[in-house]
Amino acid sequence: MSLPFALPSMNHALFLLVAVGLGFAFGFVLERAGFGRSNKLAGQFYLHDMTVFKVMFSAIVTAMLGVLVLSGVGVLDLRALSESALSFTYLWPMVLGGFLLGVGFIVSGYCPGTSVVAAASGNIDGLVTVVGVVIGSLVYVEIQPLLGGFHTSGDLGWLYLYDLLGVSPQVLALGVAVAAIVCFVGADLVERHFQRVRQPDGLTPAPSAGSRRLAFGVFGTVAVVGVATLTIPSKEAQATAPQLRSIGAGPLAQRIFDEPWGLRIVDLRSDELCAASRVPGSQCVSMDGLGDLGLAWASGDQALVLVAAGDIPELPAAVQDYPGEIYALEGGFLGWSDYALTPPELLAPDASAAERQEWAFRSGLVSALTGVEQPPPPVGTPTITFTPKKRKGGGGCG
Amino acid sequence: MEQERKFWNPYLSGLALGLVLLASFVLLGKGLGASGAAYRVGVTALATLAPEHVAGHGSMGGMVSGHSPLDNFLVFEVLGVFLGGLVAAYTAGRLKLRVIRGPRISPAGRLTLALAGGTIMGIAARMARGCTSGQALSGGALLSAGSWAFMMMVFVGGYAMAWFVRKEWT
Repeated sequence: MSLPFALPSMNHALFLLVAVGLGFAFGFVLERAGFGRSNKLAGQFYLHDMTVFKVMFSAIVTAMLGVLVLSGVGVLDLRALSESALSFTYLWPMVLGGFLLGVGFIVSGYCPGTSVVAAASGNIDGLVTVVGVVIGSLVYVEIQPLLGGFHTSGDLGWLYLYDLLGVSPQVLALGVAVAAIVCFVGADLVERHFQRVRQPDGLTPAPSAGSRRLAFGVFGTVAVVGVATLTIPSKEAQATAPQLRSIGAGPLAQRIFDEPWGLRIVDLRSDELCAASRVPGSQCVSMDGLGDLGLAWASGDQALVLVAAGDIPELPAAVQDYPGEIYALEGGFLGWSDYALTPPELLAPDASAAERQEWAFRSGLVSALTGVEQPPPPVGTPTITFTPKKRKGGGGCG
Repeated sequence: MEQERKFWNPYLSGLALGLVLLASFVLLGKGLGASGAAYRVGVTALATLAPEHVAGHGSMGGMVSGHSPLDNFLVFEVLGVFLGGLVAAYTAGRLKLRVIRGPRISPAGRLTLALAGGTIMGIAARMARGCTSGQALSGGALLSAGSWAFMMMVFVGGYAMAWFVRKEWT
């Protein structure tokens, strides 16, 4: 389930109005944080005022945890949101652009957003910075053709750190939140040290421990809640953990008779062997051809049954994305042949009712598949001359 | 004149900022941004001065054909940023015309550097597809690899340059 982002499609004017409202809150908070003052922002780079780092990192952690909790409870789709809100990763222009933005930051004393707040507070240096940003934007689009392919170099598509590290977003978010708290404690120490270097008289106000503890508590708690949402079962979670179950020849035969439409049987042996004799309703596909079946996009309503010559040790990579149940036929086609194409031995006179029923089913199966008349011939002379007369279920081709 | 209000605690400011960003994600499906609006204002201004040049330009031409480049949520959001900053500064007793500078630089020198720094940031933000708001904050919160690379490099660039402009601030 994903949030439909109803506003952009619903009403353009309302969308823009909400944008003004969000911008208002953004500007208000930036001003109250002290970001309308270039000297306060610049303090970050002389280490005596770490406000920039603290505000930015705690904002990132708050929004990150909020998004993950909302996506964990199914209100919001993390990847859909990310693709709506973000550009691709173009590594090289982003690395150089980041470096240049840092240079421009310490030279002007603002970043593009805070310069607007500074201008609004009456700081002329902020207004001049805004003008500079506008000019710089135009300069770049004018010189961009001269840069050749640089603008789109290092194109990695939409790339997220949790995919890069191979962990779930929730676990990475917990890690980021913990790292943030450690860095905040470090930043406070660095800041107080450099304040003392600057003003040995000790005019520095003690940081508000209560607010800090509150913020850290919120981060920690929400991060744990975010990880806890991992336990909420989702369709995606089931699909990402495919497992290869095994099915015996008997149960498979039963299912072929009872509900052939619920099965998709794939014979992985060579075409010659498969053409000669196969499980009813199965299709002949080589191991290499598995990937071409489009199994990842199948509905998953049918159980997928893989038939090899013998047992299948592990789940083939090509079927890993199949959304439904996946079975391997126990003993492979050899097991099938022993069970369904070889007449059962005659029962002892004292056989139980269950054994008699099983025998009746099996001998009926063998005679249906091999065309051998009941009662079955003596053991030892099986005639394996089965050619499928009728395809039962299985893909609807044929 | 009444005394200025104190700034908020940085962690609580960050929490509030994060909630604004989260609201933007949920309501608009977009992050916060700033430099995109500056670019659109620039294209609009340039289109008035040199309409033929803009119309014939690859990326700017597409922006001015059909509707105004200002008809975009980022432009309206930054308008909101200005209003929010204005109200916050006024109610905190901080609304005052001035040039903020260190003790060792003239106002003219400071304004020249502000213009130069702004221009560098404008170039940087176009190159990186966003600035500290659009890339570092919004992309950082969604754990985008490119945004985190960008953010680290912002701090690298700032610290690398800080020594050269120390007279501007201290």
